[in-house]
Amino acid sequence: MLSIMVRLVFSEMGAEVTKNLDELLQQGLLWRGRNGPLPTARAVLPSGFERLDESIGGGWPRGALVEILSQGPGLSLLLPVLAKLSRKSRWLAWVDAPWLPYVPALTARGLDVSRILLIRGRDANQGLWAAEQALRSGNCAAVMLWPRSVSNAQARRLQLAAEEGDCLGVLFRSRKALGQSSTAALRLEVQPSGGKLEVQVHKRPAGWGGRRLLL
Amino acid sequence: MMQWLALYFPDLPLDVFWSGEESAPVAVIRRQKGWDIIDRCNASARQQGVRPGMALNAALALYPGLLLHERDDKRERQRLETIASWAWNYSSRISFDPLLLLLEVGGSAKLFGGIDVLLEKLRNDPRAPAAVEYHALAPSPGAAALLARLRPGTRVRRTENLQGVLRDISLAHLTRNRKLLTLMQGIGLSTIGEALELPRPELARRVGQEAVLLLDRLLGRMPDPRPLWQPPEHFQQSLLLLAEIDQAQVLQFPARRLLNSLSDFLHGRDAVTQQLHWRFLHREAPPSQLEQGMLRPDKRAEHFLELLRQHLERLQLPEAVVEMELRVDDWQAADKIHEDLFVPQQHEDQGFLERLRARLGEEAVHGLRSVSDHRPEKGWGFREALPASGDAAGPEEPLKGEGNDPLWLLPRPRRLPQRNGRPWHEGCLQLSAFSRRVETGWWDGEDVTRDYYRARNPAGQELWVYRDRRSGQWFLQGVFE
Repeated sequence: MLSIMVRLVFSEMGAEVTKNLDELLQQGLLWRGRNGPLPTARAVLPSGFERLDESIGGGWPRGALVEILSQGPGLSLLLPVLAKLSRKSRWLAWVDAPWLPYVPALTARGLDVSRILLIRGRDANQGLWAAEQALRSGNCAAVMLWPRSVSNAQARRLQLAAEEGDCLGVLFRSRKALGQSSTAALRLEVQPSGGKLEVQVHKRPAGWGGRRLLL
Repeated sequence: MMQWLALYFPDLPLDVFWSGEESAPVAVIRRQKGWDIIDRCNASARQQGVRPGMALNAALALYPGLLLHERDDKRERQRLETIASWAWNYSSRISFDPLLLLLEVGGSAKLFGGIDVLLEKLRNDPRAPAAVEYHALAPSPGAAALLARLRPGTRVRRTENLQGVLRDISLAHLTRNRKLLTLMQGIGLSTIGEALELPRPELARRVGQEAVLLLDRLLGRMPDPRPLWQPPEHFQQSLLLLAEIDQAQVLQFPARRLLNSLSDFLHGRDAVTQQLHWRFLHREAPPSQLEQGMLRPDKRAEHFLELLRQHLERLQLPEAVVEMELRVDDWQAADKIHEDLFVPQQHEDQGFLERLRARLGEEAVHGLRSVSDHRPEKGWGFREALPASGDAAGPEEPLKGEGNDPLWLLPRPRRLPQRNGRPWHEGCLQLSAFSRRVETGWWDGEDVTRDYYRARNPAGQELWVYRDRRSGQWFLQGVFE
């Protein structure tokens, strides 16, 4: 199984095979589907979509980074969990969102908008910095970032910050990022499909991705 | 009985300058008979062979890079005031002497359970702005000052014991009046003890009444009234940078010292502040200013510093900084109840939001609120993201949108061009569904009458557009998922 992974990684990167496995693992270029025994009870936040929960190990992972790859949509997948989290005391941070969240629409979906924190950086680095601060601070239940650009190392920092702050971190990226490896715990690709959302699970905690579903 | 505690700070002339994070060799100089003489130097200058009393030229020959400044009485006094702000915790009767503070502790000692306890506390106080190494206790301020300088550690509790302790000290330390000194030396007196052996009328007749008064005051036989220090109303302090700083980030290191002083100032008054004014002086350019406002008043130096760091990241310096100044005009009494009942979560929150604001700017961080208005662009508003205050003003009854409203709104409606009578946005728009009609706003003069539609462009993007029924123009206002 591992040899297949290695080939995959390198076909993605178009690089020569000169690195050994350990190196790849350390650099986060290679990810192991199953590493040792399964953790018995992982902290998850039910997504509000039963079929999605089944495919991603019970729900959104808490204290971890999720990547949503899409050309635009994706937020609606998170609305049920955001609505639930908005009733607690922590912030829901939106960093460098492409437009303004439309308050009446969010209210209609049960979200308490007074928990929303809109953050806008002047450049890509400020947005990443703010997201990392928000993730790590322990003051946010969820942090969503629409980065202008993000490197693997930066994504890795966000992942660690999410763990530290016990926060759901969501990174919205273009579908072009599919070609890059990822250190995120969960990676979904989303596209509209006849009025519904087609979700493909590329990577998930404690299991293999590959499932495709319509929500 | 009066008990004076003298605290002597011999290195204070060096402490008033900032000489870089890792202390570079620094010396202060004084003019003496037309010569520049090294008055004091720090440890790294000593390592280069520089010694107090050396001629400036000799010191520079040893170490040409020596950082120099003349002794600065004004700054030395300012530094003493900082120390006094802290010492205010131990006595409210404080007086100054050059490089030295005098605290009357006979009264306050009772509060601490005795002078020994007070001294112990004071000397081990982690908040002390300068190390208290040289001190002395005596019933008269003059004796305390003299002993702290010459015999640090001495404690004399009773007036009658003073004479014996001071006996061997040279008269040169009694007065700086050269004429008087010469007179006394002329009749063969060199120590305080020798002067005291002469009968008083005899001493007065031979060298004048002044000498008698000085000795009487020193020995506590006569009152020695001294002007008592009044804590200033405002905080203002500056720090001269011997090593100029051209990177804004580096200013945080000298800033720490000013912030510690401020924190002492506030602690001494049991006060807090939420507005710090910084000024950074340059050689040529006008001073750079930095306003450090905070969501909540505070008095902790670390907290101020952490926020300042974020501010400094955005500060543009026209040229190197040679001096910096911190000023606080407004402070308020710390609200005890507030402090005690502070919910840790909120306390954290504050620091978190302030960090974001300090680094990104005030306008970069917002909360959201609902506004009851059917015009989508007015159906929401920014609010200050300040959780502790909650929605004290009471949230407006939220206007629930309809389930098929878009999740995203453009900051303001964008007018769309039309082609063949159809709206155009990155291609011709297909209207897929009528959303609703909005007719409102007659009361504020911005009345609208619009028909909203869901539309799709060739790229598959789902958009929320409306047609203004008066003008027939099309506008893009929202984006669906």
